Amino acid sequence: MKEFIEYLTQRIEAGKEEIEALEAEGRRDDADFAKVKTNIYDVCRTVTNALRERPGAGAAAVKAQLDRFSISWNEALEKAREHDDAKNIVVGETKMEALRDVIAHFPEVES
Amino acid sequence: MTQENALRILKSLSDASRLRIIQSLTQGEMYTELLAERLGLTPSTVSFHMKKLEEAGLVVSRKDQYYTVYALNREVLEMSLSDLAASRPEQADEQQKREDEYRQKVIDTFFEYGRLRSIPVQLKKKRICYEVIADQFVPGKEYSEKELDEIIEAVHEDYCTIRRDMISEGILKRDGGRYVRIR
Repeated sequence: MKEFIEYLTQRIEAGKEEIEALEAEGRRDDADFAKVKTNIYDVCRTVTNALRERPGAGAAAVKAQLDRFSISWNEALEKAREHDDAKNIVVGETKMEALRDVIAHFPEVES
Repeated sequence: MTQENALRILKSLSDASRLRIIQSLTQGEMYTELLAERLGLTPSTVSFHMKKLEEAGLVVSRKDQYYTVYALNREVLEMSLSDLAASRPEQADEQQKREDEYRQKVIDTFFEYGRLRSIPVQLKKKRICYEVIADQFVPGKEYSEKELDEIIEAVHEDYCTIRRDMISEGILKRDGGRYVRIR
């Protein structure tokens, strides 16, 4: 779990650099989308830190929360697609892409 | 050209990604996927930028089978900065304009894809939301309580509260078991 948190921290730092670079290039809207992505890594790190040491919670609880995020964010993305809502489609895709990456790096949970 | 349109053009151009899209389109018509590949952006991000450019009138689009093809709108693009600077506000009363903007802001906050997220606590905002719901009713037409509730429920699950509030706000009138929109 320590390595996983380190990975999230690394992604947050890389995200901050990306935001800075995009803002410097004058790509304000793209920088906003990069903020959305970075925020997802931050949210996942907060959830992981909060749940991993909690009695009765641990890694399985973290994974369950990530799966819940996936369901609800995917629903929001589908809704945005249904209504051809250009901004929320990008936001939704960005969130899902980051979450897929987070889940792919999540350590195996022993059953 | 109204000042509002001029501002929309200037705002949409004040982003480097959109300027790059315009530069690419100077070479000819292009579809979303091709622009995304050229600019290193996702197709949905390109679509987002294209929507802004289209709203400003800087590009036009057409459907070609499965693709949306974009082209520059030369008429707008070739306007000079003096043309934009010479733009004037619309004749509409400023106070009315501010009220319209406030109303739209409330609607955007409380409605999502036609559903009311929550009933506002503040009376002024609540009235605005109820007026939006009232647009579902034909003025003068009589509705049974069941018909009325079904229409309101499609917007928010607490149709009883909304029905009662709309009567007390003078938006609906109850006469026996029938309801009529009065404003």
